[in-house]
Amino acid sequence: MNVYARLVYRNLRANLDKLSLFFELFFPLFFVFVQGSGLGGIIPPLDIGNGRIVPYQLFLAAGAVTLTVINAGTNAGTQLWFDRKNGMFEQILMGPFTRAQYILSIILATLIIGIGGSLLVFLLAFPVLGTGLHITFQGQLLIGLALFLGTLFFGGLAIALSVALKSSETFQVVSTFVFFVFLFTSTVFYPAGNAPPILQAVSYLNPLTYATDLFRAGIFDAFTSLIPIEAGILALEGAAVFTTAVVAFRRIRV
Amino acid sequence: MASQSIIEADNLSKRFGDKAAVDEVTFEMRRGEVFGFLGPNGAGKTTTIKMLTTLLPPTSGSARVVGHDLRTEGKKIRERIGVVQQQDSFDQGLSVETSMDIYGLIWDVPKRDRRTRIDEVVKRFGMKDFLKMPTIDLSSGQRRRLQVAREFLHDMDLLFLDEPTVGLDPLVRRGILDYFKEKVKEGLSIFFTTHILEEAEYLCDRIAVINQGKIVQVDTPENLKRRFGRAKAVEFKLLEGTSKELSERLSSSDEVSKLIQDEVSGTYRVTTSRPEIVIPEIYRLAEKYGLSVSSIYIAETTLEDAFINLVTVDDVRRPVNS
Repeated sequence: MNVYARLVYRNLRANLDKLSLFFELFFPLFFVFVQGSGLGGIIPPLDIGNGRIVPYQLFLAAGAVTLTVINAGTNAGTQLWFDRKNGMFEQILMGPFTRAQYILSIILATLIIGIGGSLLVFLLAFPVLGTGLHITFQGQLLIGLALFLGTLFFGGLAIALSVALKSSETFQVVSTFVFFVFLFTSTVFYPAGNAPPILQAVSYLNPLTYATDLFRAGIFDAFTSLIPIEAGILALEGAAVFTTAVVAFRRIRV
Repeated sequence: MASQSIIEADNLSKRFGDKAAVDEVTFEMRRGEVFGFLGPNGAGKTTTIKMLTTLLPPTSGSARVVGHDLRTEGKKIRERIGVVQQQDSFDQGLSVETSMDIYGLIWDVPKRDRRTRIDEVVKRFGMKDFLKMPTIDLSSGQRRRLQVAREFLHDMDLLFLDEPTVGLDPLVRRGILDYFKEKVKEGLSIFFTTHILEEAEYLCDRIAVINQGKIVQVDTPENLKRRFGRAKAVEFKLLEGTSKELSERLSSSDEVSKLIQDEVSGTYRVTTSRPEIVIPEIYRLAEKYGLSVSSIYIAETTLEDAFINLVTVDDVRRPVNS
């Protein structure tokens, strides 16, 4: 069996808590069905570009799917953290693997959780909402790109945090805080155009904004001229954070 | 033809800032032997293992491990070694059985072989009772057994054991040491560190003593005892059981470096380099205090005596009398 397949399988089995995974899926669905239906009655439909107007619950549902990407990212840091805490980090590095193979296996496991989890939330949420979606091939590519780049960014960020922070408690608190900042300054819950200028500025730096915008454009066929630029920015941010994570990871002292 | 050496270390050093954790260590370990690596805490044992297993790059020097260069062929080395670290290492989200199976899997051991080998180590390491338990719930001794056992799931030429029996009860410990011996007979080489010197004596063909980052001696356990076990132990018993006066007077003798009494058997054990002076002194003191010596003999020098002599500098060699 391929070395990555072996390591990824081990990461998924050994470091992921099934109950946590359940709540990671439940969390976005809670937004879709509770917050979405609650606020849907008082918030008017929103224009998401390319002449597409969608009800708030659908607008939020698309954002909630990309929220899964953040949760998956946290998993990358948790996997590394558990391995370091439980001595498996050194144990694996004294086995027939390279550091690059190990860190890539964590990223691959994270991508599986991120993309798989997002698609599962997507599958659970949209049929219930009763929309007759027709996702084009271009839309599918955009959805894939959004989930891939988003997971890469947040996985890289969580790995960097996991390396930098000295205790698991600090890691949990800091990562939760950081990811809440990303969440509430993105376009997951509201369109950036309606927010105060300072929040708009922060939103335009936020990779979750771009992941969410790409995802919405993909499922609602709302492709605009801004989408390639947003994809480019997200790719650059993802590459920068991933590089930082790899450099931090290489410096872990054993 | 394969080299007779499985490890060749040449002036291997590791510095952390100004401090040399391992200082120009040179030694050779032969294929098929159990090579003990003994030293006090902080002597450089674990750092040496971390370098030889490619986890830490050396600051200077070179080494060949299982025939490969330490600096340029790390992965080839890691493919042929096993390591039991001093610290715990376990997958916390799995049962003992599953964690062993996945450990075998990441080493690319075929499923059928994994099953056979797991059955063998479970039997030999007495793990049946906790096979289904989550690793997070294991006692330290059970976790240690798992850590050692799973290393035998994959093929290897050389096994590094860094204090593998910490936390194990004597019966389990002896069983594991005997298993190591069997594996050595089948061709495995073992690099072994321990603080339990009886274990080293029981298992090791040769022993390197490391102190303050430097190897101070490499020899067989017998030769180390003969050459460096200068201190002898004189054991004696009094018909009357104990005598405070005799203990105090004997302890204050210049020739006695340590005096202890076993509270259960009443046996006195005197550590000295001059038993020919101490024995008559025991008889003289016994007569002076109206006591009778019921038995007296010179005990065999232990590896511990030799070890203490090798790692203790002259000005602190003399232990406090007790």
